[in-house]
Amino acid sequence: MSARIIDVKSYLPKNVIDNKDLAKEFNRWDPDKIETKLGIRERRISDVNETAGDLAYLAAESVLHNYDRQKIDFLILCTQSPDFFLPTTACVLQERIGLRNNIGAYDYNLGCSGYVYGLAMAKSYINTGLANSVLLLTAETYTKHIHPKDLANRTIFGDGATATIIEKADKEHIFEFDFGTSGSGKNNLIVPNGGFRHPYAQNPELKYTDSEDIYSDNHLYMNGPEIFNFSIEAVPVTVNNCIEKNKTNIDNLDYVIFHQANKYMIEYLRKKIKIPKEKFHSDMMLTGNTVSSTIPIAIEQALNDKLIKRGSKVLLCGFGVGYSWGTTIIEL
Amino acid sequence: MNKNEFLNEIAIYCEFEDSSMTLETILKTIDGYDSLSVMSMIAFIDENFGLKFSAKQFQNLTDFNSLIDLIGKEKFDND
Repeated sequence: MSARIIDVKSYLPKNVIDNKDLAKEFNRWDPDKIETKLGIRERRISDVNETAGDLAYLAAESVLHNYDRQKIDFLILCTQSPDFFLPTTACVLQERIGLRNNIGAYDYNLGCSGYVYGLAMAKSYINTGLANSVLLLTAETYTKHIHPKDLANRTIFGDGATATIIEKADKEHIFEFDFGTSGSGKNNLIVPNGGFRHPYAQNPELKYTDSEDIYSDNHLYMNGPEIFNFSIEAVPVTVNNCIEKNKTNIDNLDYVIFHQANKYMIEYLRKKIKIPKEKFHSDMMLTGNTVSSTIPIAIEQALNDKLIKRGSKVLLCGFGVGYSWGTTIIEL
Repeated sequence: MNKNEFLNEIAIYCEFEDSSMTLETILKTIDGYDSLSVMSMIAFIDENFGLKFSAKQFQNLTDFNSLIDLIGKEKFDND
């Protein structure tokens, strides 16, 4: 048995914050310079009462508009901002979307590598006969984790969700994977408080970065330079491993989509790995870094912009929080 | 490259716009110096010297001379 991506759709919340809004609020950086360097002009922000579950629901409705939802027999949701500790957001969504009861549904907690892992799970369920049609959702509201005075992270991250249908196919369209994990980087991208290791603090100590950003242990902390160090070390290796496992080379690929972390980082990786500019996706201008949703959003963008089409061979590489990373090649 | 060429090249690469910068300029006093600047310096050093340093090592730096010490003086040509 074999698996294939049938369709990909995204949903972005309505509220837009652009660089000029942030420049007015913080008055300490140049919005044009930031756009040029990071490749981000706008990001979408979820409402106070709008959750990852809500965004995932709307992305799912979008992809199911032209698909018989009764065919879905597995629902997987990648999120690090679930609606509840329990129950599982995917179970809540099964009812809300109106999927059958005799299906599996669960959440998994991964960030920027999450979409690649989701494809691996979907492929595994289909190829072992456990499912014929998998709905893979990614949804994050990272902006809720960020301290209002943390300009660096407010610049980078945006909220969003995606929905992908993966179905049984006559020939394989999701090829070999390469995975990696290193918990040694856990403290470099973390929300320390709120779990049971460190409960949410009522009056947390405020911390300051060298750039005058403010955060606390209740909020998201990202050590950007360390994440950059990790990425330039791990990504070239995993891309190379994946290419070798698939017995191919970059020339034989039609397109390459990396996790859209920020333009500076992925452009550096592109040059380091020697991927031609014309077959490399770099567009987070209107979304920012939407974590596990950046790769499926990029697939949707590239299809809409006719940069890829049905039959295109595309390398996907996700990397980040954990540290966790994964790479695969798909045929659309 | 020698130390002054290094200073010029890293300034262009990292878009440090202070023309009065010297090897003794304290990094944290450079206008607009932030985590993006550190990311750019990591990229520059990776590209030109094939070396990687932790964010903590960058945090402990004072001026460009301390960065040269970290990279290794022997990797630079004499002026």
